[in-house]
Amino acid sequence: MALQRMRTCQRAHPLSACLMAGYLVRRLIQMLLVVLLSAAASYAVLNFAPGGPLSGKENCQQGQRGCPTPDDLKRLRAYFELDLNLPVRFARWLIGHPRGPIEVAGQTWFADASVGCARPVERSVQLASGVFETQIVGCAQSVYLADLVGRRVSEGVLRGDFGRSWTVLRDRPVSDLILDRLPKTLQLTGWSLLLALLIALPLGVFSAVRQYSVFDYITTTLAFLGSAMPTFFFGIGFILLFSILPRGLGWFHLPPGSAEAVRPYDVPGLGTIQPGTVLDLVLHAILPVAVLTLVSVAGFSRFVRGSLLEVLRQDYVRTARAKGLTERMVISRHALRNALIPFITVVVFSVPGLFAGAIVTESIFSWPGMGRLFLLALNSADYPVAMAMLFITAVLTVLATLLSDLAYTLVDPRIRLG
Amino acid sequence: MNSKRLALFAGIVVVGLTAAACAPAAQPTPASVEKIVQVTVPPVEKIVEVTAPPETVRIEATVEVPKGAFSTPNPKLADVRVRQALAYCSDRLELIKSVYALLPEAEQRALIANSFIPNSHWAYAGDENLTLYPFDAEKGKRLLDEAGWKQPEGAPFRVNDKGDELFFKFTTTSAVFRQTWAAVWEQQMANCGVRIIRQHVPGSWWFGDTTGTARRDFELGAWAWTGQPDPGGQSLYACDQIPLPENAWVGQNGMGWCNEAASQAIKDANNSLDRKSRIADYAIVQREFTRDMVSLPLFARTNVFAVNPNLTGFDPKIGDENFNYNIAEWEIPGKDTIVLGWTQEPASMWLLVEQAQVAIWAYGMVGGYQWLSPNYDYTPAIQEKMSTIENNLATNADVEVKEGDRVQDATGKPITLTNGVMIRNSAGEVVEFNGTPVMMKQLNVKLLVIKDLKWSDGEPVKKADFELGFNTDCNRDAGATTYIVCDQVQAVTFLDTGFDVTYLPGAQPSTYFAMASPFVIYPSHRVIESDGEFKGKKLAEVPVKAWATLPEIAERPIDVGPYVVKEWVKGEKIVYEANPFYYKGAPKTRNIVISIITPENAEAQLIGGQVDVLDFTTLTALTEQLAAAEKDGKVRNIVLASGTWEHIDFNLYLP
Repeated sequence: MALQRMRTCQRAHPLSACLMAGYLVRRLIQMLLVVLLSAAASYAVLNFAPGGPLSGKENCQQGQRGCPTPDDLKRLRAYFELDLNLPVRFARWLIGHPRGPIEVAGQTWFADASVGCARPVERSVQLASGVFETQIVGCAQSVYLADLVGRRVSEGVLRGDFGRSWTVLRDRPVSDLILDRLPKTLQLTGWSLLLALLIALPLGVFSAVRQYSVFDYITTTLAFLGSAMPTFFFGIGFILLFSILPRGLGWFHLPPGSAEAVRPYDVPGLGTIQPGTVLDLVLHAILPVAVLTLVSVAGFSRFVRGSLLEVLRQDYVRTARAKGLTERMVISRHALRNALIPFITVVVFSVPGLFAGAIVTESIFSWPGMGRLFLLALNSADYPVAMAMLFITAVLTVLATLLSDLAYTLVDPRIRLG
Repeated sequence: MNSKRLALFAGIVVVGLTAAACAPAAQPTPASVEKIVQVTVPPVEKIVEVTAPPETVRIEATVEVPKGAFSTPNPKLADVRVRQALAYCSDRLELIKSVYALLPEAEQRALIANSFIPNSHWAYAGDENLTLYPFDAEKGKRLLDEAGWKQPEGAPFRVNDKGDELFFKFTTTSAVFRQTWAAVWEQQMANCGVRIIRQHVPGSWWFGDTTGTARRDFELGAWAWTGQPDPGGQSLYACDQIPLPENAWVGQNGMGWCNEAASQAIKDANNSLDRKSRIADYAIVQREFTRDMVSLPLFARTNVFAVNPNLTGFDPKIGDENFNYNIAEWEIPGKDTIVLGWTQEPASMWLLVEQAQVAIWAYGMVGGYQWLSPNYDYTPAIQEKMSTIENNLATNADVEVKEGDRVQDATGKPITLTNGVMIRNSAGEVVEFNGTPVMMKQLNVKLLVIKDLKWSDGEPVKKADFELGFNTDCNRDAGATTYIVCDQVQAVTFLDTGFDVTYLPGAQPSTYFAMASPFVIYPSHRVIESDGEFKGKKLAEVPVKAWATLPEIAERPIDVGPYVVKEWVKGEKIVYEANPFYYKGAPKTRNIVISIITPENAEAQLIGGQVDVLDFTTLTALTEQLAAAEKDGKVRNIVLASGTWEHIDFNLYLP
């Protein structure tokens, strides 16, 4: 059937378009599998890790108001779905099912199928070291499919519902958290990526063309410095140099952190800045964007330099020069285009990073971005939030891979997909 | 070929993951499961090798243990002289200096802890009634000599007659703070000839529900307890609160300390409503506790605040963590906005489901506080008076109970009275019910708020709001952690300004006089404006199950406190504005903003003037940067002794 369609396609369209369509279909199926696999793996890893939303609840003075009884713990386990078997939990997170017994034509099926355990049976055993280990050895009360009726459940991530946060924003939609922070992260990572490309490309090219020149030595040294020094070093240094010290001296200074002000503030030379204005946003963004840009420029420029140097040694470049082309033409028309092919992969794979944020930079500058949210979600065992971010990152990564492959065909006519 | 291999590999991965995922859901979180079966001892099976799954445990060697677990006295720690020696050899001032170096020495000395109750607490027994352990290494050495642990000439550590070295395994968390003082303490012990083998473990393990302290997995163990206005302590110091495999690890007396006088006194203190007798009971417990030296109190931690030097009205109190209790009095001349820099964001404004300190503070600005606890004592705020027996707002009458009545048993559990149940009679004695009617204490309390309160939308607080408060907080669908107080209530009558509560016979909650959940109010008249199925309905008409998801509850609640939430940008800020109907009049500052910042950036924002207040959840200690900034007039630092105190527990028995 598929072959027939392909032949029909070949009759109607140029061969390359049909090959491309087939390629895309194959890739989309592969991408779906990879995303599902990574989601399953992430879900399993998060849920098998020690801790969880109820961790420490028992570690309180018994009899006090906030200390849960065994009945309370049973209820809370059901609230967080910890009483369901992992595959069932995963299915409910992914597709919003099962929600109860299957009903067909008024007939109920599998109502008494066990899907979890409401009252696990524990046993303490003493190991040779003397330490006691608690093991679960059975189940005194199962959770059946019928018990799921009426329990709250999301529509499933495949339908765009990431459920509700457990601990970061208790019982409120995960999407609220992400949508609040995503613009700030895109602002930070987007600007820094753009600036990094604008700076790194000419730096790398010039450094390669003028290999072993003073300029090359300087940029190489700075690039190594930028790559070797941790982000927090630049972050703290910039805050000190451009915010705290000049402010103390009454000079022009930049805000030390946050994405925008919450009240008017004075900056020498600019007067009173109102919170939320473009100028306020720009002033707050300068330092974190500068740090991220600096680090990216260091890596990108080295990559472009190395790649271009390799291409400049190729025979066809020598031939172009021998033909009498100007050095500018040789570099821009022949060398650079080929040198940028591997660089495309590096740039395209920055796309998931645009979403995921930059944990260290966001922390140093109190930037309310996705990186901090992810860290917070992991630290507070908010698996719905962490899973949502992992899932979206996985989707973006496979999309970036596809984008990278497609981009190759644009810059290198020798590459054909299909 | 390559793609075939790839497919095979992918298949293996999928099968592996599926197999892993099919494990029972309860396994990864044994911490939260109910203990139904807890029987392997006596005798205890010593398992050398364990293979999963648990049902097929392979026992290669079984050792019969003559007694139950944790019944073999620790040969070193069983001798009180050794424990006291460790206390005398501990220079607590030096430990304090190691972590709070920037404090003046007088303030450092004030942090030294002598008991499990803070020195300024109403229940503190007083130095004269305790066995104190001022640093005296020579005395410590003498005690060790007497106990048979001698230090041979030139040897670094002491040994007994058998040549066994005196060493202890000392476990605590890997927090830098603890690593710092623990290193100093290790050296202090070495100076007395005692070898300390330090183990710094992750907090998640040390405080895990089935690991670390919960399983008494330590010889010497250090962590912190938090002092409260009500000292509690029954689960820490009573004989029947020693965690053991036989009792499903119930209790927190990880030391295994059983002193009959102290055990009885701590139970009496926790089952009495009379403060004088409670003070006397706590004095007995503290006397025995310090004499037996089963746990070495070290020092109180500090609560550090750093604020804008021009801020007035900021006056945090020892014993009350709610430093923003008087936020309506705060003012910075010339500014209409005060910015609080918080490094933790509240998860919800609904305190029934979220009890984190920051959530309490964030809501405190909206709802105010029913009562305060400066210096660990109670002062009414929105609550009209503390409802005590002494001021006749509460009564504790003797009532007769018979079979079939609902009562609270001696362990604090609400039950239906049947033969054989242990209950506490009106004389305070624990007796077994045998069918004959018994007199028990029954508590009745009137919890009243001040009159003429108005919600921040101008609507007067009314009886329906109290009714909605209790009925919601006691609804099992609400998602609260526990309903223990609800279960203790026999009847409640809703008044125009509060509650008239009758507890079950036998229920004697020591903080009976203070309003707290489930005795709260909600605006029953509030109309839901957010989109969704409840739009247009009144709050009282919304099913409790959905409350936690409502923005009107979780993000923009209204109440009777000084401020109302104007805007909450997640991860960034919460903006409050003054409540025009605040019962104390307009707050001095019109706007309050909570700016969500990071610990790494907090001090820079304070010194840079972006925030005005940093609290102790951000500042773990006074830093050199803040001290220098204070000298330059950029900030004002306030350091108070916190209710949280470090201690070292001695596990008196071997597992």
